[in-house]
Amino acid sequence: MEYDKIFNELFDADGLRKGYYKLDGQGKYVLDTNPTLGEAVVNGLMLTELRTHLEESRKAVHAGLKSPLFYYMELRQFDLPTLAKSAGIASFRVKRHLRPEIFAKLKPSVLERYAKVLMVTQQELKTVPDI
Amino acid sequence: MTTEVTAGGKPFIHHHSAHCESGVTSALFRDKGVEISEPMIFGIGSGIFFGHLPFVKWVGLPISTFRSHPGSVFRKAAKRLGGEFVTKRYRSVQKGMDELRRVLAGGQIVGLTTNIYWLSYFPNRFRFQFNGHNIIILHEIENGFRVSDPVLDHPVDCLTEDLERARFARGPLEPRGFMYYPLSVNPHPDLRAACIAGMKDTCNMMLRIPLPIFGIRGMRFLAKRIMKSGEKSGFKEAARQLGNIVRMQEEVGTGGAGFRYMYAAFLQEAADLFGSDELAELSNDMTAIGDIWREFAVVSARIIKQRGQSDETFAKAGGLMLICAGREKQLFKDLDKVTRKLKA
Repeated sequence: MEYDKIFNELFDADGLRKGYYKLDGQGKYVLDTNPTLGEAVVNGLMLTELRTHLEESRKAVHAGLKSPLFYYMELRQFDLPTLAKSAGIASFRVKRHLRPEIFAKLKPSVLERYAKVLMVTQQELKTVPDI
Repeated sequence: MTTEVTAGGKPFIHHHSAHCESGVTSALFRDKGVEISEPMIFGIGSGIFFGHLPFVKWVGLPISTFRSHPGSVFRKAAKRLGGEFVTKRYRSVQKGMDELRRVLAGGQIVGLTTNIYWLSYFPNRFRFQFNGHNIIILHEIENGFRVSDPVLDHPVDCLTEDLERARFARGPLEPRGFMYYPLSVNPHPDLRAACIAGMKDTCNMMLRIPLPIFGIRGMRFLAKRIMKSGEKSGFKEAARQLGNIVRMQEEVGTGGAGFRYMYAAFLQEAADLFGSDELAELSNDMTAIGDIWREFAVVSARIIKQRGQSDETFAKAGGLMLICAGREKQLFKDLDKVTRKLKA
């Protein structure tokens, strides 16, 4: 996989540059803004991983194995304890809500809590995008 | 470098820096009229460190850190430079935001700890759940704030809603709206004494913590784990873990080679300050060590990229880290000796 290519495409697209210390010609340290190969590859790896996870979770929701809540949790890069804490719902309940048949029966008040934390509307929370 | 105006009408010069925390601290000092660079703050605050915590998992991966605990650079540097700071955390979002507005209205710039994921001015590739990003708020604007983020090369705008979320995000290392600003700063700090205190503390942390996961011993520990990781957990998992180490080293605002180049820059400045050739020599050594860390990153990147098809092996990557450990041990021992001779 060309991890560094993925990274470089994104890098060129937004053009946001970070600083790296580097020696200049006179042996003094200055700030430079070119990322190294190492950074490009490992970031590409991480970004690819995030995307694959998201895609897998979307498919799992479509297959009826997981509730849409799982997809949005992955989308916001939350893990279960963090989501539970942010929404103020006990983690064993959140875990149950990841099951589609239980998620379907949730009250709007509970959905609203998730929607607020995950920054989506209640309507969006009930479905996942088709691609 | 961009000039901005704070709420108090004072000009504020935005400096691009490599690391968020030292960048914010140096900006707060500069705002009070103490000209101090980012590497200087980093050295005085004893930012450089190493630790591998196999039992603390972050997105399912063990944490390897190249820096001291988030927040400690600011705390130590402020103490050693004789600055009096107000630091506050909040339970209530409303109170936290009101207090921020009140301080900003007084013309003071404020440092905040935030979650980087919710700061929407970052492009997607930067956004991951990490609760330790530091930024400076310059003044309030219409439905938002003017932000000087030291990691970016220019100041940006941030929506109030985003900032609220970012300040009060939950999860590991919760910022709980952490906010800090100087009350008074010593206009002529004793830089020499501060540098000596910082260097001594660094040597202690790197050489004398009696646990095998911190300092030089931590490096050896991790190096041995990397060497074995290929056979132990399969190529894919091993590559993930290696990728995470390199990410901690190169990506998370380290200024390259896991802060080693930044520390070399500090030693260089300190050498000028004390007029000491020994420190200049150590700075060169540190640069050389940084180069080995870079090589480690490149070798690791090749392993990950070629999926085990290249000549590079996990054993070679681990070996490079062992070399780093050996060289750093010598360097910090020498630094320890040199600091004893220096006079404040």
